[in-house]
Amino acid sequence: MEKIITVGLGEYAVSQDPDEILVAYGLGSCVGIGMYDQRINLAGLLHALLPIHPMGSADQQSRYVDTGIKLLMDEMARKGADRSRLIVRMAGGANMLVAPGFTGSFNIGTRNIEAAYSTLYSLKMSIAGKEVGGTTGRTVKFYVKDGRMTIRSIGNQEREV
Amino acid sequence: MTNSSQQFDEELHSLLVVMAKEGILNAAKGMSDMVGEQLTVSQPLVKRIPIREISNLLGGPEAEAVGIYLRVEGQIGGQMMLVVPYPKALELVDLMMSVPIGTTQTLGSIERSALQELGNLTGSFFLNAVAATTGLNSRPSPPAVLVDMIGAIIDIILATSDTLSETVLMLQAKFMRDGREADADFWIIPDRNTIENMVKRE
Repeated sequence: MEKIITVGLGEYAVSQDPDEILVAYGLGSCVGIGMYDQRINLAGLLHALLPIHPMGSADQQSRYVDTGIKLLMDEMARKGADRSRLIVRMAGGANMLVAPGFTGSFNIGTRNIEAAYSTLYSLKMSIAGKEVGGTTGRTVKFYVKDGRMTIRSIGNQEREV
Repeated sequence: MTNSSQQFDEELHSLLVVMAKEGILNAAKGMSDMVGEQLTVSQPLVKRIPIREISNLLGGPEAEAVGIYLRVEGQIGGQMMLVVPYPKALELVDLMMSVPIGTTQTLGSIERSALQELGNLTGSFFLNAVAATTGLNSRPSPPAVLVDMIGAIIDIILATSDTLSETVLMLQAKFMRDGREADADFWIIPDRNTIENMVKRE
């Protein structure tokens, strides 16, 4: 029986239970980054809010794309994942405010995507599938049994990345 | 949380309760003028809501909602957002356009303009009340209307506000006209330095 594990804002979750689906609901500018080690059926999903963790800040690391990715990867490694086997998928990073006067200062979605790209690049990890950017929110599901990632947005059918 | 920050929060809360009540009532007056009929607003409830609970209060992060977003600039800075579940937004439009509930089925450009105007008036009248209480003047940006999943709409507030604050302020009000009513949640997220200025002046 399928079990939904909700990954809240600024949180991450790791699971090896094939019945579980890790879900980040209603991502706007946030990004959802999923990592999967097929050999041990280990899946992890991060729901990050902002791009770069401020130096010296005591703020929760999993809220940020750069530190969140590293936290998730460390947690996956502790549970036996091998970085060379990790498959990465990501979604989100929409720019929600496209009204005149807002666009310049509110491109957090784009900055989140860029932070994810550069962090993954520095860790020598490539992205197997993604649906990022745009102007609409998304719900992301990451299946522990096979590492599939699906996306749903309002007015559209669920699709795989 | 330290005692001083608790006290700070309590002071801020009571200050905002006063301003919110005044501001929302003022906004109702403005809206009545706009629609040419008496529109009233219930005494708003003011709550501090943990960031994580926001979307659950509005039907879950995946529920479709309408957000009317304004940035506040001037002597005080911050963000304001009026958030209503999608069906309620349609009712608000019905209420504002003086048509029977259920008439508005989709949000086209006219309906969005009506909601923008609602945001504009609510924001302006609220800020007038803030100015009357604190002597600090500010103005709202033109409002942006968003129709999307509630979680995605709320990301805007969370991503652009002070990430250290774990709670946001919510005003809950009910708009009424001829015995009909529509609920609206109104979020106020002052910038950190604004909060400090406001409390200092009290």
